[in-house]
Amino acid sequence: MGTSDKKRRQTPDGSKRAVNVGAATGTNGTASLLDTARTVDLSTCSDSDDGDWQNTSSDSDDEYSSASFDDDESSGDEGEGTTEINEAILDYMGALEKEREDEERGDSLTGGGEESRSPRAVVESDSSEDEVPSRNTIGNVPLEWYKDENHIGYDLSGTKISRREKKDQLDSFLARSDNSKDWRKVYDEYNDEEVELTKEEIDMIKRIRDGRVPHAEVNPYEPYVDWFNWEDKGHPLSSAPEPKRRFIPSKWEAKKVVKLVRAIRNGWIKLDKPKEKPKYYLMWGDDLKTAEKTANGLAYIPAPRPKLPGHEESYNPPVEYIPTQEEVNSYALMYEEDRPKFIPKGFSSLRQVPAYSDFIKERFERCLDLYLCPRSRKKRINIDPESLVPKLPKPKDLQPFPTTCYLEFLGHAGPVCSIAVDPSGMWLASGSSDKTVRLWEVQTARCCRVWSMTGPVRHIAWNPRAGLGILAIALQQEILLLDAELGSNTEEVSQLLNINVSSATEHTGDGLLVNWLRHEKLQALQIKHSQEVVSVTWHHKGDYFTSVAPDDILGAVLVHQLSKQQTQNPFRKLQGRVVSVLFHPVRPFLFVATKMHVRVYNLAKQQLSKKLMTGLHEITSMAVHPKGDNMIIGSREGKLCWFDMDLSTKPYKTLKNHHEDIQAVAFHVTYPLFASCADDSTAHVFHGMVYNDLLQNPLIVPLKILHGHQKIDGQGILDCHFHSKQPWLFTAGADSIIKLFCN
Amino acid sequence: MEDAAEERQIQVRFVTKLPSELHVATTPFSLPAHLTRYGLSEVINALLGLDKPQPFDFLVDDELLRTSLEQLLLTNKLSAESILNVEYAYAVGPPKREKSREHKDWVSAATGSHARYIATGSYDTSIRIWGADGSVVQSLEGHGDAISSLEASRPTGDEMWVLISGSKDHTVRRWELSLTSSQEAVNTAVTLERPVKVLKGHTSAVQCVASNGSGTAVCSGSWDCSIKLWNISEDENGESLTVRSKKRKLDASAEAQELEVGTSITLEGHTQCVSAVSWGQRDSIVSASWDQSIRSWDVETNINTETLIGPKALHCLSVGGDNMALFAAGGADPILRIWDPRMPGTNTPIFQLSSHKAWITACKWHRHSRRHILSASHDGSVKLWDLRSKIPLQTIDAHKGKSDCTIK
Repeated sequence: MGTSDKKRRQTPDGSKRAVNVGAATGTNGTASLLDTARTVDLSTCSDSDDGDWQNTSSDSDDEYSSASFDDDESSGDEGEGTTEINEAILDYMGALEKEREDEERGDSLTGGGEESRSPRAVVESDSSEDEVPSRNTIGNVPLEWYKDENHIGYDLSGTKISRREKKDQLDSFLARSDNSKDWRKVYDEYNDEEVELTKEEIDMIKRIRDGRVPHAEVNPYEPYVDWFNWEDKGHPLSSAPEPKRRFIPSKWEAKKVVKLVRAIRNGWIKLDKPKEKPKYYLMWGDDLKTAEKTANGLAYIPAPRPKLPGHEESYNPPVEYIPTQEEVNSYALMYEEDRPKFIPKGFSSLRQVPAYSDFIKERFERCLDLYLCPRSRKKRINIDPESLVPKLPKPKDLQPFPTTCYLEFLGHAGPVCSIAVDPSGMWLASGSSDKTVRLWEVQTARCCRVWSMTGPVRHIAWNPRAGLGILAIALQQEILLLDAELGSNTEEVSQLLNINVSSATEHTGDGLLVNWLRHEKLQALQIKHSQEVVSVTWHHKGDYFTSVAPDDILGAVLVHQLSKQQTQNPFRKLQGRVVSVLFHPVRPFLFVATKMHVRVYNLAKQQLSKKLMTGLHEITSMAVHPKGDNMIIGSREGKLCWFDMDLSTKPYKTLKNHHEDIQAVAFHVTYPLFASCADDSTAHVFHGMVYNDLLQNPLIVPLKILHGHQKIDGQGILDCHFHSKQPWLFTAGADSIIKLFCN
Repeated sequence: MEDAAEERQIQVRFVTKLPSELHVATTPFSLPAHLTRYGLSEVINALLGLDKPQPFDFLVDDELLRTSLEQLLLTNKLSAESILNVEYAYAVGPPKREKSREHKDWVSAATGSHARYIATGSYDTSIRIWGADGSVVQSLEGHGDAISSLEASRPTGDEMWVLISGSKDHTVRRWELSLTSSQEAVNTAVTLERPVKVLKGHTSAVQCVASNGSGTAVCSGSWDCSIKLWNISEDENGESLTVRSKKRKLDASAEAQELEVGTSITLEGHTQCVSAVSWGQRDSIVSASWDQSIRSWDVETNINTETLIGPKALHCLSVGGDNMALFAAGGADPILRIWDPRMPGTNTPIFQLSSHKAWITACKWHRHSRRHILSASHDGSVKLWDLRSKIPLQTIDAHKGKSDCTIK
């Protein structure tokens, strides 16, 4: 397109100027032949732009005359090269001129309009300048040749193109002043016509004069596009062989590595820098990020799918869905959680369905839910509660143990305070607060002997030596040693129970402690204390026995020797009120239970060996395992403590099994059983297996709760003892009955 | 009988081992299915045409009929179409209470081996011989403590009756009673032959005694866990006896003399009180103990030949039944168990009879029947069992307190 523009504007006047400009722009050097055409236009425009518009306007009066002539002269001075160009331009301009004529003709002669289209179309196409014939066909000849002629050349058909009449200067001036756009007009000498430059052409001229690229759309600094792509060409850029250094390890790299290694070894470079913890952290943040750890990364649990509405949700359900009145009434009796949430009701039309009555309530609850909704997900571990329960053997597998009461020993008139089973297992002795001691045959529950006492019996104990049959009875302020006349060696018993005169005199010296006397009425030995005696226990060999008189400050615990009829006070002063005293079944130890602690004394070394911290408020009773390393302690608050004395001075197990005070605890001699009885008139039987293996802890399994006694005056079972050989338990109740529970 | 035509009928054929005059026709009868023992007994009575109605008991497959025939078929899964063989026998009638003999104290032992006399031992240390009319014929004093057991020999002829008593005073006494002939008086005089033999040696209370039939060999079990065998023969007596006069007996019979006999053999093996001994067949002793075991001892070699371990402590034992081979024992639970020692390698009893409510204190086989057994319990009842039925034949609830001994 550009090319056609250039040619159109070539005027004789323009061409002269173009020469000037061309000289001026000749410094650019690179200006091509085509570009010179532009420069022609530039010169004229720049004149008007430069401000000497007046001059040009004054000059424009004689544009066609003087100016052109001047130009002609100067151009003639210039030389051949420029004329050539001018001719070329004129040639094109001629073609343009012809177009216009064709247009004019098209206007006048409608018939020829059709024919003239094709050449015009040719002109408009910017394919080639050859196809655009100029109006004038004189070719590249000097125009001076036609200076004197009436025509300026020939058109395509060979007819002369007559020279137009020249406007006089005044006319042209007037025309110029009338038409403001007249200044854009350029005279084309070659085709003898005036051409009006368009705005774009003037812009182009301006650009050329500024030394810029003539076309505005052309970007001289477009980004470089490397069109050549050698990567897929399959051959190196260089065909030189690979140098040797490519195949040997780099010396310099090795040196660098050695340097780094040395730096690391010498500690100049620290590799493991401790990570600094962030100073501030999100306090309520999700530490374990469990919310993000869901399977698909979404921290939400899909709501359970509600049941699809069925027939009963219809406003008018079939009759069989509507509950009868009895069923509705029965719903009212059900628990609220079992009650159905929705009771179907029938309405004849949808119009009569009332508003949902629970709407406000449910909305309110929903708001509450949202308001009280926990902000963090609860981390819940699903543990089967059964797995937390320790694996204990079933009581069925731990038989035999006492389960049912088969025998009742009836006869006492008051609460039975204490019972004792003969070492052979044939006899049972019981002491009661009805001031009697009774001797029972175990097999038949027959009361064989009754001894009347002077006061209520507090405690009773058999001498553990088999065949001796001596019963120690604690009542009021004395201990009676009674011959039950069961043993075979009666001589020895009578000798033991006869007062030894020499020892009696011996003891008159420190008569403060006790007095050994002969009780003539019962044929018994009487040991008088200064305070009330609560309990009496035998050493397993049957010679020593202890008495406990808690009110006696100095001699709360006394150790008596039967054979020598002597009494010792092993403790000058004891801390706390003594409750019970027991001998170790095997070794020379003595257990002293005070209100809160149990102290273990070594009798051989005469020192305190251990102190058991029970953690109980008030100890009432204790019993030692026949092997001696374990003991159980019953307390007033109904707690039972098992002590493994090899293990610790703290309880191995504490069982809170009774509701009320534990009155007595007992171990079985041979079977792995122990029992406790309490004021809630129950006796609990446990399996208490002690293993010979020191590494294995005792196994304690609750087996059976024995009922049967009645509670009288807040007292239930006062004493319990196991049969010495059978897995049977005797319980002595405040209801004056002794019961025998058998397996 | 045949009126209930619409009811289910069962074809029954009656068989019996009774004498031939009590036989009925062996053709099958069609009887209504709801009939029980009583109904069947009426049928038999009608068939036999007895003047005096006689109760019969019925056995199907050696099991006593205790339900209706229909239920029996259901439980035994028998076909109602086939003919049912029913054996009938005399029913054991309920015992009639004849007389009660009042004691001052608990009766701990009783024996009735003699046809006309009953001996009882009591907690008041005396042994009484009761005549048929219920009067005390003889009272045997001498023990220092309660009598725990009593055993009587089978009377040889009419003259001698040997009683052996064990007592809690650690001794066993052997009393020889001479029964004068009974023609002239209603009550024959029972006189005690002196000297009374005192068998000393136990260190604790004697719990049980037993003798062989003649009373020449005596064994006793005691709380000292031992069984002692005493051999009392006439010729030996003269050598081993030491004569000793008892201070205590001065008031009763001043000239009474007691002969002390030493132990011959001690059988050790039980770990607890030997509660029952029984002289079995072929010179063997069977003993039961609180240590839950039943042991058989051979008298000749004094060896423990067999041991059965029961589940509970045992109080009583009786040998009898089939071929005198079954052991019946009761203990510290309300179940009477019967063992067959001929079944090797097992401690499970062949029968477990449970109907009592408390400890079983005594049991005794019928002397001639191999199926009947008596048991006494602390619940005050005595029950008669037939091994062919799980339900006791008869229950005697006469005692208010605890029954302690049985005789048969």
